[in-house]
Amino acid sequence: MKQHKLLFIIFSVLSFTNSFAQTEKQSIKVKHFAVKQLTIEPGIGIHSNFGTDLLITNLVQWNPKKHLAFASHSSYNINNLLQRNFNGIKTEHNYSVNQKFGVGTTFYSKRSSNTFLLMAGVKYTSFKESLVNPDDKNVSAGVNAFSPDYGLMYSLKKGVKKYFFSFRMYVPLYPWPVKATNISAVDGNINNIALEFGAGIKIK
Amino acid sequence: MLLKQIFASACAIMLLFLLGSCKKESFNSGATKEFILQSATNGASYQIKVGLPSNYNPVVEKYATIYVLDGDEIFDFVANKCQQISNDLGVKNVLVVGIGCGQDRSLDYTPTKINSISGCAPQFLHFIETQLIPKIEQDYKVDTARASRVILGHSYGGLFGGYAFSIHNKLFGNYILLSPSFWFDDLVALRQEKDNRNDNKTRKQLVFMGIGEAENAGRMQAPFEAFYQALQKNYFDIKLEKNRERNLDHLGSRNPNIEKGLHFYFQNR
Repeated sequence: MKQHKLLFIIFSVLSFTNSFAQTEKQSIKVKHFAVKQLTIEPGIGIHSNFGTDLLITNLVQWNPKKHLAFASHSSYNINNLLQRNFNGIKTEHNYSVNQKFGVGTTFYSKRSSNTFLLMAGVKYTSFKESLVNPDDKNVSAGVNAFSPDYGLMYSLKKGVKKYFFSFRMYVPLYPWPVKATNISAVDGNINNIALEFGAGIKIK
Repeated sequence: MLLKQIFASACAIMLLFLLGSCKKESFNSGATKEFILQSATNGASYQIKVGLPSNYNPVVEKYATIYVLDGDEIFDFVANKCQQISNDLGVKNVLVVGIGCGQDRSLDYTPTKINSISGCAPQFLHFIETQLIPKIEQDYKVDTARASRVILGHSYGGLFGGYAFSIHNKLFGNYILLSPSFWFDDLVALRQEKDNRNDNKTRKQLVFMGIGEAENAGRMQAPFEAFYQALQKNYFDIKLEKNRERNLDHLGSRNPNIEKGLHFYFQNR
């Protein structure tokens, strides 16, 4: 009886381990493990304008070839999130929606990839402010406008598994030329750089 | 490794911006006179630049004058545009007077004291009225009428222009107010306009107000609109125009609005 029990355990263990064994022949060509063909990378971010804008973003990247990348970037920005009431000026709403498409190239290192993309698309901005003037009348002003949106994007993917760390930086080049290179200036393209972090998912 | 990559990218971006930044504009220096004027009120020294029209003729002509705040930065642009617009329209050009910063601009351009670097607009306006304007009108052949004086300012400079409009309206007849910081000190500019409305509303005025459509920091648009509406509804003899520069922000809209403001002035003065 004891013998039967021992044989059963050995058989079970061997069967179990066999289930993890490689069943296919190993490919002679070693595939670079950092290459990802199709990824989805949701993330959140901020603008460099004092970090008061919250960005909810997503990047879909497709690499049909190792060094050729196409991307679609969507972003919903809640602008000026932390200051909705300032000196009697109330912000009713303030958001923008961006959709861009781009093409670029990817460089690989052992555990990460770096993609540089030229992006172009459209941006819709909507905001409204109001105040009560000294004559006790309510005055509102707002903007609802479409504008071009183009620039450069850098995307870093860190990690080799299905889920990986994703960072990207988008530098708007519209309007061109750059109006202020002074980082402490109130605005200018350099203060509207988007910095985004998130988790990427490798689809293919 | 990660930090290294981010740092390298940031450096590349900075380089791109440096390559793409605007070249500095300069006005024909032969037609520019410069001097330093020390304020008797606060002791600060202001660098003054005077841009003369290309065909300046003091014997037969009298010229209007545009006083430009932040003159260190925008004098050349304004002087060039005045030359160009007056040529295009075939009208007489003006003298452009750039007032450089003698002390922190936030001191000189803000009307009330809310911290250690604000609240000296009354002294600065006094300096302009009692020292600068008399010197310009003595040294150059300019028209001394209120209707021939313009003040142009951007941001805090626009706030100062609004202050001059409300508090000392007799000094300037024309105002080019660009992205004015009317949010300052709980909308003090709007209160000052209302408090002095009865004294000012029958006087002849020319006001151009410009802003960038993308100035969405939750403080610029509503006070701008409130000031504009107050002028539109309550001033009987006013030539008033506003412009929202499409897709441009606080700094980006400055030069396009200067150009439009000058056009409005030359066409309607």
